[in-house]
Amino acid sequence: MLFFSYFKDLVGREVTVELKNDLAIRGTLHSVDQYLNIKLENTRVVDQDKYPHMLSVRNCFIRGSVVRYVQLPPEGVDVELLHDATRREARGG
Amino acid sequence: MVLGLRNFTERTGDGIGQPVLDTDNGEELMCVQPGVDIVLANRTRESHGTLYVSNKQVIWLSDVDKAKGYAVDFLSVSLHAVSTDPEAYPVPCIYTQIETDPDGYESDNSDSECSDTLDLSRIREMRLIPSDPSQLDSLFEVFCECAELNPEPNEEEGEEHEWIFSADQMVDEEEADYISQNPAHAIGQSNGDHDLAHTVLQSLRMLRRWSMTETTPIIDSVISSK
Repeated sequence: MLFFSYFKDLVGREVTVELKNDLAIRGTLHSVDQYLNIKLENTRVVDQDKYPHMLSVRNCFIRGSVVRYVQLPPEGVDVELLHDATRREARGG
Repeated sequence: MVLGLRNFTERTGDGIGQPVLDTDNGEELMCVQPGVDIVLANRTRESHGTLYVSNKQVIWLSDVDKAKGYAVDFLSVSLHAVSTDPEAYPVPCIYTQIETDPDGYESDNSDSECSDTLDLSRIREMRLIPSDPSQLDSLFEVFCECAELNPEPNEEEGEEHEWIFSADQMVDEEEADYISQNPAHAIGQSNGDHDLAHTVLQSLRMLRRWSMTETTPIIDSVISSK
Protein backbone atom coordinates (compact mmCIF):
# COMPACT_ATOMS: atom_id res chain seq x y z
CA MET A 1 0.00 0.00 0.00
CA LEU A 2 3.04 2.24 -0.20
CA PHE A 3 1.90 4.22 -3.19
CA PHE A 4 -1.63 4.49 -1.90
CA SER A 5 -0.37 5.92 1.37
CA TYR A 6 2.08 8.09 -0.44
CA PHE A 7 -0.52 9.64 -2.70
CA LYS A 8 -2.83 10.16 0.23
CA ASP A 9 -0.19 12.40 1.72
CA LEU A 10 -0.27 14.50 -1.41
CA VAL A 11 -3.96 15.33 -1.12
CA GLY A 12 -4.52 19.05 -1.53
CA ARG A 13 -1.43 19.56 -3.65
CA GLU A 14 -1.18 20.32 -7.33
CA VAL A 15 -0.24 17.34 -9.45
CA THR A 16 -0.21 16.59 -13.13
CA VAL A 17 -1.68 13.28 -14.17
CA GLU A 18 -0.56 12.01 -17.53
CA LEU A 19 -2.84 9.46 -19.13
CA LYS A 20 -1.84 6.64 -21.41
CA ASN A 21 -3.67 8.42 -24.21
CA ASP A 22 -1.20 11.33 -23.81
CA LEU A 23 -3.67 13.68 -22.20
CA ALA A 24 -2.08 15.47 -19.27
CA ILE A 25 -4.36 16.98 -16.66
CA ARG A 26 -3.25 19.31 -13.93
CA GLY A 27 -5.30 19.85 -10.84
CA THR A 28 -5.52 19.71 -7.09
CA LEU A 29 -5.41 16.17 -5.80
CA HIS A 30 -8.75 15.65 -4.07
CA SER A 31 -8.47 11.97 -3.21
CA VAL A 32 -7.01 8.67 -4.21
CA ASP A 33 -8.33 5.19 -3.52
CA GLN A 34 -6.81 1.77 -3.16
CA TYR A 35 -6.92 1.21 -6.92
CA LEU A 36 -5.06 4.47 -7.40
CA ASN A 37 -8.08 6.00 -9.01
CA ILE A 38 -7.44 9.71 -8.78
CA LYS A 39 -9.86 12.55 -8.18
CA LEU A 40 -8.74 16.02 -9.17
CA GLU A 41 -10.35 19.39 -8.59
CA ASN A 42 -10.08 22.57 -10.62
CA THR A 43 -8.43 20.78 -13.44
CA ARG A 44 -7.02 22.05 -16.66
CA VAL A 45 -5.49 20.31 -19.59
CA VAL A 46 -1.79 20.96 -19.96
CA ASP A 47 -1.69 20.85 -23.74
CA GLN A 48 -4.69 23.02 -24.46
CA ASP A 49 -4.04 23.34 -28.17
CA LYS A 50 -4.39 19.63 -28.58
CA TYR A 51 -7.42 19.18 -26.36
CA PRO A 52 -9.32 22.47 -26.53
CA HIS A 53 -12.66 20.99 -25.54
CA MET A 54 -11.32 19.84 -22.20
CA LEU A 55 -10.11 23.27 -21.22
CA SER A 56 -11.31 22.91 -17.71
CA VAL A 57 -13.60 20.78 -15.68
CA ARG A 58 -14.58 21.22 -12.08
CA ASN A 59 -14.19 17.68 -10.78
CA CYS A 60 -12.47 14.88 -12.54
CA PHE A 61 -12.23 11.19 -11.74
CA ILE A 62 -9.42 9.33 -13.48
CA ARG A 63 -9.37 5.56 -13.58
CA GLY A 64 -6.15 4.28 -12.05
CA SER A 65 -5.51 1.87 -14.89
CA VAL A 66 -5.26 4.63 -17.50
CA VAL A 67 -2.65 6.68 -15.65
CA ARG A 68 0.85 6.66 -17.10
CA TYR A 69 2.63 9.14 -14.84
CA VAL A 70 1.84 11.38 -11.94
CA GLN A 71 4.06 14.42 -11.82
CA LEU A 72 4.57 15.36 -8.21
CA PRO A 73 5.30 18.69 -6.62
CA PRO A 74 9.02 18.62 -5.73
CA GLU A 75 8.32 19.80 -2.21
CA GLY A 76 5.95 16.85 -1.74
CA VAL A 77 8.67 14.29 -2.30
CA ASP A 78 10.46 13.14 0.80
CA VAL A 79 13.21 11.13 -0.81
CA GLU A 80 14.61 9.71 2.40
CA LEU A 81 11.26 8.45 3.51
CA LEU A 82 10.48 6.91 0.14
CA HIS A 83 13.88 5.34 -0.12
CA ASP A 84 13.39 3.73 3.26
CA ALA A 85 9.94 2.54 2.36
CA THR A 86 11.02 1.01 -0.94
CA ARG A 87 13.88 -0.77 0.81
CA ARG A 88 11.52 -2.22 3.33
CA GLU A 89 9.25 -3.32 0.52
CA ALA A 90 12.06 -5.02 -1.31
CA ARG A 91 13.03 -6.95 1.78
CA GLY A 92 9.49 -7.88 2.54
CA GLY A 93 9.28 -9.60 -0.85
CA MET B 1 -15.47 -7.82 -21.80
CA VAL B 2 -16.19 -5.49 -24.69
CA LEU B 3 -14.22 -2.28 -24.71
CA GLY B 4 -15.95 0.89 -25.70
CA LEU B 5 -19.46 1.97 -26.37
CA ARG B 6 -22.09 -0.36 -27.80
CA ASN B 7 -25.72 -0.40 -28.78
CA PHE B 8 -28.15 -1.35 -26.08
CA THR B 9 -31.69 -2.34 -26.93
CA GLU B 10 -32.76 -4.92 -24.38
CA ARG B 11 -35.59 -3.48 -22.39
CA THR B 12 -38.05 -5.08 -20.07
CA GLY B 13 -41.79 -4.97 -20.62
CA ASP B 14 -41.92 -5.87 -24.29
CA GLY B 15 -39.00 -3.67 -25.10
CA ILE B 16 -40.32 -0.41 -23.73
CA GLY B 17 -39.30 -0.51 -20.09
CA GLN B 18 -36.07 -0.40 -18.15
CA PRO B 19 -32.86 -1.93 -19.42
CA VAL B 20 -32.42 -5.66 -18.91
CA LEU B 21 -29.56 -6.11 -16.47
CA ASP B 22 -27.36 -9.10 -15.82
CA THR B 23 -28.85 -9.67 -12.39
CA ASP B 24 -27.61 -13.26 -12.32
CA ASN B 25 -24.11 -11.87 -12.11
CA GLY B 26 -24.98 -9.36 -9.43
CA GLU B 27 -25.73 -6.39 -11.62
CA GLU B 28 -28.06 -3.92 -9.98
CA LEU B 29 -29.35 -0.48 -10.72
CA MET B 30 -27.71 2.31 -8.74
CA CYS B 31 -29.40 5.36 -10.21
CA VAL B 32 -32.06 6.32 -12.73
CA GLN B 33 -31.99 9.82 -14.15
CA PRO B 34 -34.74 10.87 -16.52
CA GLY B 35 -34.35 13.88 -18.78
CA VAL B 36 -30.81 13.30 -19.95
CA ASP B 37 -29.46 14.09 -23.40
CA ILE B 38 -26.40 12.42 -24.83
CA VAL B 39 -23.63 13.58 -27.15
CA LEU B 40 -21.26 11.03 -28.65
CA ALA B 41 -17.89 12.45 -29.71
CA ASN B 42 -18.67 15.62 -31.66
CA ARG B 43 -21.91 14.37 -33.07
CA THR B 44 -25.20 16.12 -32.62
CA ARG B 45 -26.97 16.07 -29.30
CA GLU B 46 -29.56 13.33 -28.97
CA SER B 47 -32.45 14.45 -26.84
CA HIS B 48 -34.96 12.94 -24.51
CA GLY B 49 -33.42 9.96 -22.91
CA THR B 50 -33.11 8.32 -19.55
CA LEU B 51 -29.83 7.47 -17.92
CA TYR B 52 -29.49 4.21 -16.02
CA VAL B 53 -26.39 3.64 -13.96
CA SER B 54 -25.81 0.12 -12.74
CA ASN B 55 -22.90 -1.15 -10.70
CA LYS B 56 -21.40 -2.43 -13.96
CA GLN B 57 -22.28 -0.03 -16.73
CA VAL B 58 -23.76 3.23 -17.88
CA ILE B 59 -26.84 2.89 -20.08
CA TRP B 60 -28.63 5.63 -21.94
CA LEU B 61 -31.99 4.80 -23.49
CA SER B 62 -33.88 7.08 -25.81
CA ASP B 63 -37.39 7.96 -24.66
CA VAL B 64 -38.39 8.68 -28.22
CA ASP B 65 -36.98 5.78 -30.18
CA LYS B 66 -37.41 2.66 -28.10
CA ALA B 67 -34.97 0.82 -30.31
CA LYS B 68 -32.22 3.27 -29.54
CA GLY B 69 -29.85 3.01 -26.64
CA TYR B 70 -26.16 2.99 -25.78
CA ALA B 71 -24.16 1.37 -23.04
CA VAL B 72 -20.59 1.39 -21.84
CA ASP B 73 -19.01 -0.69 -19.08
CA PHE B 74 -17.39 1.17 -16.23
CA LEU B 75 -14.25 -0.76 -17.08
CA SER B 76 -14.09 1.26 -20.30
CA VAL B 77 -14.74 4.63 -18.71
CA SER B 78 -11.24 6.08 -18.36
CA LEU B 79 -12.27 9.38 -16.94
CA HIS B 80 -15.37 11.25 -15.97
CA ALA B 81 -15.75 14.86 -15.00
CA VAL B 82 -18.19 17.64 -14.30
CA SER B 83 -17.90 20.11 -17.15
CA THR B 84 -19.34 23.52 -16.44
CA ASP B 85 -17.00 25.72 -18.43
CA PRO B 86 -18.96 27.08 -21.42
CA GLU B 87 -15.73 27.19 -23.37
CA ALA B 88 -15.31 23.46 -22.96
CA TYR B 89 -18.93 22.72 -23.81
CA PRO B 90 -21.83 25.17 -24.06
CA VAL B 91 -24.01 23.43 -21.50
CA PRO B 92 -23.09 21.81 -18.19
CA CYS B 93 -22.60 18.09 -18.55
CA ILE B 94 -20.88 14.97 -17.35
CA TYR B 95 -17.92 14.50 -19.63
CA THR B 96 -16.50 11.00 -20.07
CA GLN B 97 -13.63 9.51 -21.98
CA ILE B 98 -14.04 5.97 -23.20
CA GLU B 99 -11.31 3.47 -23.74
CA THR B 100 -11.68 1.85 -27.13
CA ASP B 101 -10.24 -1.25 -28.65
CA PRO B 102 -6.67 -0.42 -29.73
CA ASP B 103 -7.31 -2.06 -33.10
CA GLY B 104 -9.69 0.73 -33.87
CA TYR B 105 -7.10 3.42 -33.29
CA GLU B 106 -5.70 3.85 -36.77
CA SER B 107 -8.56 5.99 -37.87
CA ASP B 108 -9.25 8.96 -35.72
CA ASN B 109 -12.45 10.15 -34.13
CA SER B 110 -13.01 12.35 -37.13
CA ASP B 111 -14.28 9.34 -39.01
CA SER B 112 -17.24 8.87 -36.81
CA GLU B 113 -17.86 12.58 -36.67
CA CYS B 114 -18.00 13.07 -40.41
CA SER B 115 -19.83 10.08 -41.66
CA ASP B 116 -23.35 9.18 -40.76
CA THR B 117 -22.53 5.56 -40.25
CA LEU B 118 -21.71 5.43 -36.62
CA ASP B 119 -19.08 3.05 -35.40
CA LEU B 120 -19.81 3.05 -31.69
CA SER B 121 -16.70 1.10 -30.82
CA ARG B 122 -14.60 4.07 -31.92
CA ILE B 123 -16.37 6.69 -29.87
CA ARG B 124 -13.93 8.01 -27.31
CA GLU B 125 -15.96 10.77 -25.73
CA MET B 126 -19.46 10.88 -24.36
CA ARG B 127 -21.29 13.76 -22.74
CA LEU B 128 -24.40 13.36 -20.64
CA ILE B 129 -26.51 16.44 -20.24
CA PRO B 130 -29.14 16.36 -17.48
CA SER B 131 -31.99 18.80 -17.99
CA ASP B 132 -31.36 20.02 -14.46
CA PRO B 133 -27.68 20.97 -14.02
CA SER B 134 -27.99 20.69 -10.25
CA GLN B 135 -27.98 16.93 -10.73
CA LEU B 136 -24.43 16.97 -12.07
CA ASP B 137 -22.68 16.60 -8.75
CA SER B 138 -24.78 13.69 -7.56
CA LEU B 139 -24.37 11.97 -10.92
CA PHE B 140 -20.64 12.51 -10.70
CA GLU B 141 -20.58 10.89 -7.27
CA VAL B 142 -22.58 7.90 -8.51
CA PHE B 143 -20.09 7.48 -11.34
CA CYS B 144 -17.20 7.63 -8.87
CA GLU B 145 -18.80 5.06 -6.64
CA CYS B 146 -19.43 2.67 -9.52
CA ALA B 147 -16.00 3.15 -11.03
CA GLU B 148 -14.53 2.09 -7.72
CA LEU B 149 -16.68 -1.02 -7.79
CA ASN B 150 -15.04 -2.02 -11.06
CA PRO B 151 -11.29 -2.35 -10.65
CA GLU B 152 -9.24 -3.92 -13.40
CA PRO B 153 -9.73 -7.67 -13.71
CA ASN B 154 -6.88 -10.16 -14.23
CA GLU B 155 -4.66 -9.10 -11.44
CA GLU B 156 -4.50 -12.68 -10.30
CA GLU B 157 -1.93 -14.23 -8.07
CA GLY B 158 0.93 -16.07 -9.65
CA GLU B 159 2.38 -13.12 -11.45
CA GLU B 160 3.47 -11.40 -8.32
CA HIS B 161 6.81 -13.13 -7.89
CA GLU B 162 7.82 -12.52 -11.40
CA TRP B 163 6.94 -8.91 -10.95
CA ILE B 164 8.82 -8.34 -7.76
CA PHE B 165 12.05 -9.80 -8.95
CA SER B 166 11.94 -8.38 -12.39
CA ALA B 167 11.64 -5.00 -10.85
CA ASP B 168 15.22 -4.66 -9.70
CA GLN B 169 15.05 -1.18 -11.15
CA MET B 170 13.19 -0.45 -7.96
CA VAL B 171 16.34 -0.59 -5.93
CA ASP B 172 19.79 -0.10 -7.26
CA GLU B 173 21.49 -3.33 -8.09
CA GLU B 174 23.86 -3.22 -5.20
CA GLU B 175 20.98 -3.07 -2.85
CA ALA B 176 19.16 -5.85 -4.65
CA ASP B 177 22.24 -8.02 -4.26
CA TYR B 178 22.47 -7.11 -0.67
CA ILE B 179 18.91 -8.07 -0.09
CA SER B 180 19.19 -11.38 -1.86
CA GLN B 181 22.33 -12.26 0.07
CA ASN B 182 21.06 -11.15 3.43
CA PRO B 183 17.44 -12.04 3.44
CA ALA B 184 17.31 -12.15 7.22
CA HIS B 185 18.98 -8.82 7.69
CA ALA B 186 15.90 -6.76 7.35
CA ILE B 187 15.25 -3.70 9.40
CA GLY B 188 11.59 -4.41 9.85
CA GLN B 189 12.08 -8.03 10.76
CA SER B 190 11.44 -7.89 14.49
CA ASN B 191 7.69 -8.08 14.50
CA GLY B 192 5.00 -8.11 11.93
CA ASP B 193 7.33 -9.05 9.14
CA HIS B 194 4.72 -11.25 7.68
CA ASP B 195 2.27 -8.41 7.62
CA LEU B 196 4.80 -6.22 6.00
CA ALA B 197 5.48 -8.78 3.31
CA HIS B 198 1.81 -9.04 2.70
CA THR B 199 1.45 -5.30 2.47
CA VAL B 200 4.32 -5.18 0.03
CA LEU B 201 2.82 -7.80 -2.19
CA GLN B 202 -0.42 -5.94 -2.15
CA SER B 203 1.07 -2.65 -3.04
CA LEU B 204 3.19 -4.14 -5.79
CA ARG B 205 0.21 -5.91 -7.21
CA MET B 206 -1.66 -2.70 -7.06
CA LEU B 207 1.10 -0.79 -8.67
CA ARG B 208 1.31 -3.34 -11.40
CA ARG B 209 -2.37 -3.12 -12.08
CA TRP B 210 -2.28 0.57 -11.89
CA SER B 211 0.13 0.87 -14.73
CA MET B 212 0.67 -2.50 -16.25
CA THR B 213 3.66 -1.75 -18.40
CA GLU B 214 4.81 1.59 -17.28
CA THR B 215 5.46 1.52 -13.60
CA THR B 216 9.18 1.82 -13.56
CA PRO B 217 9.57 5.41 -14.72
CA ILE B 218 7.56 6.51 -11.72
CA ILE B 219 9.70 4.55 -9.36
CA ASP B 220 12.85 5.64 -11.15
CA SER B 221 11.89 9.23 -10.77
CA VAL B 222 11.22 8.74 -7.10
CA ILE B 223 14.61 7.23 -6.56
CA SER B 224 16.64 9.37 -8.87
CA SER B 225 15.28 12.58 -7.55
CA LYS B 226 17.42 12.37 -4.45
